[in-house]
Amino acid sequence: MRNMKRIVILLTLAVVAFAATLTRVTVNAAVVKVPDPTKVVMIVNRDSNEIAFMDIDSKKIVGKTFLGNNVNPHMVMMSPDGRYVVTGGTRANKAYIIDAKTLELVKVIPVDIAPEHLAFSPDSRWYYQGNPEGDSISVIDMLSLTKIKTIPGLVEPLNTVFLPDGSKAYVGNYGAHWVGVIDVRRHELLKKIQVGDVPGVAKLDPDKYLGDIQGINIPQITNDGRYLYATDTDLGVVAKIDPREDKVDKIIRVGKQPWRPYMSHDGKYLITPNNGDQTISIVDLRTDKVAATLEAGENMTGVNFAAGKAFVISSTSGFVYVYDMNSLRPAGRMKIGTNIQLETATTDTKDEKLYLADSTENAVVIIDAKTQQFEKVLNVGLYPWGTHIMDSKDNYCH
Amino acid sequence: MLRLRVACAIGPMLVCLASVATAQTSTVTGRVANVQGGVIPNAEATLRALPPAGAAPMPNMPNMPNMPNAAAAPERTATAGADGTFTFNGVPAGEYVLMVDASGFERGSQPITVGNQSQNVTVTLTPLIIPGGEEAAAAAVGGNVADTQLLLDRIKQLEQRITDLESEAVLSEPETRVKRIEVYVDQNKNVHDEPVPGAKKEVSYQRERVYRRQTINEKIEQALAAAEDQSVKIGVDATTVTQGAGRTTGDPERPNKKAYALASADLFFAAKLAQYTSFFADVVALSGAPPDREIPSLTLLNGYTARLVNQNELNLREAWLRTEFFGQRLGITAGRLDLTNYFDRNAFSNDETTQFISDALVNNQMLGLAVNGTGVVAEYDPKNAFNFRVGFQQSNPDATSLSDSIYSLAEVGYTMTPFSLPEGHYRLWYRANNGEVDTKYATGISIDQKLSPIVGVFGRYGQQQVPGDWDRYWSTGLSFANGLVFNPHDTWGIGYARMDLVSGDTEHLTEGYYNFQLTERLRLSGTLQHVLDRQGDKFGYLLPGIRLQASF
Repeated sequence: MRNMKRIVILLTLAVVAFAATLTRVTVNAAVVKVPDPTKVVMIVNRDSNEIAFMDIDSKKIVGKTFLGNNVNPHMVMMSPDGRYVVTGGTRANKAYIIDAKTLELVKVIPVDIAPEHLAFSPDSRWYYQGNPEGDSISVIDMLSLTKIKTIPGLVEPLNTVFLPDGSKAYVGNYGAHWVGVIDVRRHELLKKIQVGDVPGVAKLDPDKYLGDIQGINIPQITNDGRYLYATDTDLGVVAKIDPREDKVDKIIRVGKQPWRPYMSHDGKYLITPNNGDQTISIVDLRTDKVAATLEAGENMTGVNFAAGKAFVISSTSGFVYVYDMNSLRPAGRMKIGTNIQLETATTDTKDEKLYLADSTENAVVIIDAKTQQFEKVLNVGLYPWGTHIMDSKDNYCH
Repeated sequence: MLRLRVACAIGPMLVCLASVATAQTSTVTGRVANVQGGVIPNAEATLRALPPAGAAPMPNMPNMPNMPNAAAAPERTATAGADGTFTFNGVPAGEYVLMVDASGFERGSQPITVGNQSQNVTVTLTPLIIPGGEEAAAAAVGGNVADTQLLLDRIKQLEQRITDLESEAVLSEPETRVKRIEVYVDQNKNVHDEPVPGAKKEVSYQRERVYRRQTINEKIEQALAAAEDQSVKIGVDATTVTQGAGRTTGDPERPNKKAYALASADLFFAAKLAQYTSFFADVVALSGAPPDREIPSLTLLNGYTARLVNQNELNLREAWLRTEFFGQRLGITAGRLDLTNYFDRNAFSNDETTQFISDALVNNQMLGLAVNGTGVVAEYDPKNAFNFRVGFQQSNPDATSLSDSIYSLAEVGYTMTPFSLPEGHYRLWYRANNGEVDTKYATGISIDQKLSPIVGVFGRYGQQQVPGDWDRYWSTGLSFANGLVFNPHDTWGIGYARMDLVSGDTEHLTEGYYNFQLTERLRLSGTLQHVLDRQGDKFGYLLPGIRLQASF
């Protein structure tokens, strides 16, 4: 009889616990808008000041997070652990942290001037927000969701890349000709690596070398994490950097005004879109030599890889140029529209589809990489500036 | 039997509970409050275990396969009650992060260490203020609601004031933009955004107001770009070529140790007329004495001489309209033009302004057109490996009708990367003339192939039909860029060209050049040519030269 009582009590407890679990699931289902963060495309809507979330399968907007008037978010990224979505509000001088599942804005953190591009440390602990007009990087601790430090001494820091072990970060300085090396443990500028020599005739051309400077956009890391490649737009070169010794291993001359390097997914090549002569340079990473220089379009803002091809976005022409990465030959040109402006794109994790921001049409263009056909999802928000998919190999911004 | 079943079902649960009971666990309780200390009910607390020191912390970084793929840290959640308290029971000892979310508040996050003793945590949340967004949930704030509301209102006013000040400082009035939109108009002229029965799709234009703050620089850049887009662009290309000539072989009566100079100035005008339609004009003036006036070589020793019609006179060299169709794959150019500009565009030997100066290393001599005239060119370029061109032009400015002076060309081009080499361009062309001319037909090929990122090789061959046989021409050479140079954008090359005419006249021409790019707009080249001709008698000349080119 005593045992029977115990059994009844335990059964009652089990039933209550089960019921409580059910209740909890029901409550969560009501607020969770994105159950699986890998299944959405994040869209930065610059002029409607929001991040929109589009379901990859249904192509419907499942939620939007409004950030505030005149925020003008620039780049969006999900933390590697899938917990948060973050963006920098360029005109608000703030960083915005969004819960990746509920899409609620959980924190707004003041940073330095004109935050644009950002990066996460591999362990998701540190969120580095670059502030090009503040010449600094704001370091945000993703555990406490607070800004713990501002790293000064940079010159228009445009993009940051972490090493796979998270020990160091490399910063492209667009206002200089050097890459900054950050010690991630102390969040301090450790070293400056000059990527190329300014030619001796530079003093004859003050219009070019003193009028403006277009230095390094991003030091892009190879797929195996062994090397970094950084373009210098003014100097027209790509520098290969060995992060073990933080030294330049090789300088590769490419076309005029290379924008930045983009790594192919198989790790064999990198591509630089050269806006100075409207070409692309395909660099063979085994030999570190230019394997081909091919005609392309004007104002190129990005390169995506899918289905064995490279897709090069020509922003103001409304075209996407396609190249066969096996034969290294042109493979056609897709006309997305007339009198439009294209921005940047992300590629799905299957390497099948591209999601291209079409800002002037307030649309996202979904490109089937294999057939080179596309469809437009309209009304995603005002002036979509970029897209992002968790774990995509082509997550970048302008 | 029933007792046995229940026992079987409960057994594993008891084992599980027993194992939990033996581990070192404790209870974490907490209270969620606002900054005034008032209770925040229904907050959601999350307890997230941190990995032990030295363990791989998080999942992979995208695109970094070498990162250890550790599982994400486990989490537990609890919902605070109406009194703002929450409880986590049976928490193993270790390092944790406690995160608390409540609607209308910023997330609270703090690290805690759980040992053997139960502990109580107070979590204080600050209101989430989004300028321009939905108001923070002030009602969720407990305590002295009236005072808090006053404070929140005041904070909001100050925030708005700061936003206004920032806006005025950086030109932040909402941007307006006119957009091209598609609407559906029914029989009553009612406009619908979506298709409705009986409505027709029409294109219209509508203003859109956006909240984008622009800096003064951005505004100025936009205005300048818009003005430039609507203006007529003017360009200038001024070149002076100074050459000397020393006879190396031949009749002593022929000129020797002479100096020559030719100055050329091109004025370019370009304007956008309509969608994908543009206008271009080139007015050129030349003066001076090129070596071709005294040295009767089969080909021009100074490629600029082909432009010299009359000394010190302005000549309209080109004036044409270009428009594009079919997704800009097909381009049509019509007007006064130089048809050879559109054909045989060899990458390494096609430009007398920056590459070789000898015409034999600029143009395929079998293309056979010396004057510009009225014509049309169609270029089909699908931007794959192939491209096609076809065109015709009036070849004789004195002809009374086109039917007696039609010069036509067709070309197919192909881009490839053979044998793991960098890119190369391969072209095959065909020419036909009508009217009273010596040669009716000609064919040719043109190749430029990079051997490495630095070295490129080029080759041309052409033959034209003349009564009884074919005149033949070929050329080859090497071009260097991106390396083996003094300055990064310098280029240099060496080339050889040969002509064999049915008449028995022959020519061997060799040239080397080095082109210094001093600035974006200024170039200085040194050239050295040697020509050896046999036209009845044999003569040869060595010609050093300097070319100074300004282009802007």
